Amino acid sequence: MSQVFHPRFGFRARLALLGVLVLIVGGCLAWRGMTGDPHRLGEPVAQPVPFSHKHHVGDDGIDCRYCHADVETSAFAGLPPISTCMTCHSQLFTDTPMLRPVVDSWRSGRALHWNRVYQLPDFVYFDHSIHVAKGVGCVTCHGRVDRMPLTRRVVPLSMKWCLDCHRDPQKYLRPRERVFDLDWHARDQRRLGLRLVRAYRIDTARLTDCSVCHR
Amino acid sequence: MPPLRLPPGVMATARRRLGGTQGARFWRSLEELAGEPGFARELDGTLGRLPEPDSPGRRRFLQLLGASLAFGGLAACSGPPAEQMVPWVSRPGDMPAGQPRFYATVLHDAGDVLGVLAESREGRPTKIEGNPAHPASLGATGALPQAAVLDLWDPDRSQAPLRNGVASSWDVFAAEASDWRARFALDGGGLVVVGGALVSPTLRAQREAFLRRFPGSRWHAYEAVGSTQAEQGARLAFGRPLLPRYHFEQADVIVALEADFLGGMPGRVAYARAFAGRRRPEGPHGMNRLYALEGTPSLAGAMADHRWALRSSAIALAALELARALDVAALPASAPSGLPPAQLAALAADLVAHRGRSLILAGESQPPEVHALAHLLNQRLGNAGRTVDYMAPAVPAEPEALPGLAAAIRAGQVHTLVLLDSNLAYAAPAGLGLDTLLRQVPQVVHWGLHRDETAQLAAWHLPASHALEAWSDAQSFDGTVAIAQPLLAPLYDTRSVHEFVAVLMGETVQDGHAIVQSYWRTQPGDDPEAWRGRVRGGVAQPAPPAEPAVASAAFLHDWQPVAADTPLELLFRPDPTVWDGRHANNGWLQELPKPLTQLTWGNAALLDPQLAARMGLSNGDVVALDCAGRRVEAPVWIMPGQAAGCVTVHLGYGRRHAGHVGDDLGFDAYRLRGARAPWIAPGLALAKTGRRVALASTQDHFRIEDDAPVRELDAAALASGTPLRQPPPPSFYPPQPQGEYAWGMTVDLNACIGCKGCSIACQAENNIPVVGADQVRRGREMHWIRVDRYYAGDPARPRLYHQPVPCMHCEHAPCELVCPVGATVHDSEGLNVQVYNRCVGTRFCSNNCPYKVRRFNFLQYSDLTGEALKAQRNPEVSVRNRGVMEKCTYCIQRIERAHIAADRGNRAIADGEVVTACQAACPTQAIRFGNLHDPGSEVSRAHASPRSYDLLEELNTRPRTSYLARVRNPNPALGDEA
Repeated sequence: MSQVFHPRFGFRARLALLGVLVLIVGGCLAWRGMTGDPHRLGEPVAQPVPFSHKHHVGDDGIDCRYCHADVETSAFAGLPPISTCMTCHSQLFTDTPMLRPVVDSWRSGRALHWNRVYQLPDFVYFDHSIHVAKGVGCVTCHGRVDRMPLTRRVVPLSMKWCLDCHRDPQKYLRPRERVFDLDWHARDQRRLGLRLVRAYRIDTARLTDCSVCHR
Repeated sequence: MPPLRLPPGVMATARRRLGGTQGARFWRSLEELAGEPGFARELDGTLGRLPEPDSPGRRRFLQLLGASLAFGGLAACSGPPAEQMVPWVSRPGDMPAGQPRFYATVLHDAGDVLGVLAESREGRPTKIEGNPAHPASLGATGALPQAAVLDLWDPDRSQAPLRNGVASSWDVFAAEASDWRARFALDGGGLVVVGGALVSPTLRAQREAFLRRFPGSRWHAYEAVGSTQAEQGARLAFGRPLLPRYHFEQADVIVALEADFLGGMPGRVAYARAFAGRRRPEGPHGMNRLYALEGTPSLAGAMADHRWALRSSAIALAALELARALDVAALPASAPSGLPPAQLAALAADLVAHRGRSLILAGESQPPEVHALAHLLNQRLGNAGRTVDYMAPAVPAEPEALPGLAAAIRAGQVHTLVLLDSNLAYAAPAGLGLDTLLRQVPQVVHWGLHRDETAQLAAWHLPASHALEAWSDAQSFDGTVAIAQPLLAPLYDTRSVHEFVAVLMGETVQDGHAIVQSYWRTQPGDDPEAWRGRVRGGVAQPAPPAEPAVASAAFLHDWQPVAADTPLELLFRPDPTVWDGRHANNGWLQELPKPLTQLTWGNAALLDPQLAARMGLSNGDVVALDCAGRRVEAPVWIMPGQAAGCVTVHLGYGRRHAGHVGDDLGFDAYRLRGARAPWIAPGLALAKTGRRVALASTQDHFRIEDDAPVRELDAAALASGTPLRQPPPPSFYPPQPQGEYAWGMTVDLNACIGCKGCSIACQAENNIPVVGADQVRRGREMHWIRVDRYYAGDPARPRLYHQPVPCMHCEHAPCELVCPVGATVHDSEGLNVQVYNRCVGTRFCSNNCPYKVRRFNFLQYSDLTGEALKAQRNPEVSVRNRGVMEKCTYCIQRIERAHIAADRGNRAIADGEVVTACQAACPTQAIRFGNLHDPGSEVSRAHASPRSYDLLEELNTRPRTSYLARVRNPNPALGDEA
């Protein structure tokens, strides 16, 4: 009885299988690429002005709240108006090309468009003020911005990541007076965290309710 | 649901079923009552029917399936777009990002003035709340003011000046206006201005300056639905024009002679609060008793303890009989009204027993003599100065304004006619023929929000600024004046009425702010601080003291009451939602089921059931209405409780140039309106046409299988104190986790007047879309809080009930058990939450909900492309897409805001800190919301009342929304049924 399949058939079949595999993997990668966040984790985001937190926070020691003035009272930390930049830059580095867009915006009254680095998924309503009030430090989510020449995202902002803290807030809490201190570390985070959960009256049972973040 | 044909024997069937032992006590429509065989089948379909495709073949079906899979997959292949952030260049004062801010201002709507707090989100007005400091609002609003914010963002608004339909500019208009000024400077005879009710003191001052500047010119104030009859009545009684101000909080016995003080009078929000304050049996002053005599059911009639349906023209006769029973001398002879003498005697005795604490009031639809008689009776009963007092109107009404204008146009005496948002080509009585006469005026100038029917005829159309874009002021029903401040600069090239008049007069000051402020400089006690206080607080001038007024009986000599002798009479009423037609382009108001009929997106001729049965008519049959040679075709709606021999039509529909939303809906009732007797037209002829129209009524939608959805107690049951609620039986389901708060709501059915302000407030707050008439017919309207209307008793004179139904937030929620993806779950504070991003649209939850409160986005209802509408939306609430279930959330965004504010301060949320949108809007405070764990909270106390009960208690769902039973206070001498 002659062979049903030609000897070369095995090779072709393997080739076809490989092709299918490549197609599936390629498809998955392409899909991930297309549906992912606009800016990748850890990747500096281009801005109209190459604003350096490293310089302003790390070198000059400006407090977070000097620019992000609403962070203790509002859902949004607040992007500083150009007038805040001009408190210093009407005197300093006024003619550097880097600062040109800021100065132009101030003169023309036309607003500057910044690219968002921390972009939350849809359906989520985040509030800065309550996190700050309950002792979540800036550094916990935003990283060491005092070491970032260009701002980048350091956490995934996925629901899993949010819930990691909402399930066990004691892992991350710090005293309120240390919230804006980027350099602070707890000696015994677990003990301190548990004490703070009680002191700040954090209802841990409620923190994982859908309604806390979704409306 | 398409209306069903009503067989001629329906009344007999209905009576039989009601008389039977197992007859349904509460019913929602005559079809349901008659138990038509088709009814149950039709009902099954109302819960959101699947679209009916044109039965595609197998191949076509597979093709569509494959294509939708592929496109669905592709559509998912895009990540979130990169967002940008745009900070201020320099931030104005104290404007924290993301926090709502409220500005006191004032809205006026056809003479009804309401002080409000307008919510601004980053400079965008998004919501209207009542102003607690303003006596016309007392913190509440109602449906029409709630919808004002949508008018602002209406994409159909007029955006630029038009000259003969061609784009022009304000400068060209100003140049032309200067020519007219030269022409009319010495003799203004040919110059006529027609505007709406003159509620603005600044505009009144401008009007006086205008009339001085152009001697001989005229400026008329015309409202299609005004208070001319009431003012003429006061003139008859007191010899001068006066406006009554009622004090319902003082009244123990109220007689409303076709007076809809809850739904159709200026000041209705404040009146509703005062009235409902005396409907709480727990209150210190006891309950009031309301007698309503009316031709067509109204909101006030629905709340009455004794509602006597009488032909509108017979109410004058009944008023005379009442006067006779109260021993008023020198009354004119009159035919019998048809009211049984025993009822009349009991009413008279009740009034006499409550001297000084009773109130008789007449409605605008009654002739002036009835108003005068009401004033006289109030005086005889010692009520004047107690339950009613009087104030002088700022500008007396001119009943002959429009007939005079028509005559002047016919005589060729009008050269330039300036219309201040007055739609004369549409909203004038057809008997005057103004729509054709306007074409004879050489120069018509129209200033208005929309390019309406009149603007189409006008040489000039000038766009108006919305009330939230303009400085102004307005005087409310009690004389309080408030200043209107803009929340944003005009969106388009528009001017406010003050600015427009200033342009017309060539004033040097043409800025609205300066004009209003300069008027207030002339008022006593002005300084910059006073101006700031006037604007900020929302009240600029308190109500004036009452005018001394003595009613004389002299008018009785000249009164010759006419008996109602024609077989049919036609009654005109303003539409409850689009009013005189001005709100026709407002989708929220179009889709709001009209109180009592539950009709949406159109009007109908209301017939009493006997007449309909006699003529073999059912809902939706088109009839020809013929009245004094004027003929209009209209669909029929059978209205239980309508007086025999009365046919009611509502004004405001049949608009031809309202906009994309409001064009060509319903029929135009103005075409039937005569120049005289604008509210009652005798001698109506009715003829069948054989055509049918599918009306979009929601009265049979979302039916609850509860025998007694509404509970009612009489005085004896109330006195016994037996609680209505049974202790809940044990349950197999585990108890829900109990958090720090247990949110709950109570709706007091004794206070709810069925105005549906809650539905619109919820729509504005929660970004609820409008679906359109076709989708409403399929039972897909999206209101999170609906107001069910029930009838009870004989269809000829039924009792009416309203029941607002939001999500019950059941502790053992049936919806949660059936969701395959966990998209509807409980949170620890008892909220039944809907997670939109989990929902895959199986609709199991909605099928399993016994209260029928879940709403499904069958299509993409939310407009995701319209730029103007986006700006109205509440940024704290997700906009839902197609294929997602949604429902009442107890305004979770408001709860969270209160939570964050309290948690930040390490304190508990105080009672009254969370106010839901429906609760805030409710004129009668029927809705209460709060923490059920706190025994001292208002909602807990209401929950503990013996009147408190749950819907479908037997299902043991343990709802967090409960109801307080209705209590009636009938006259013991009359018995319950009279």
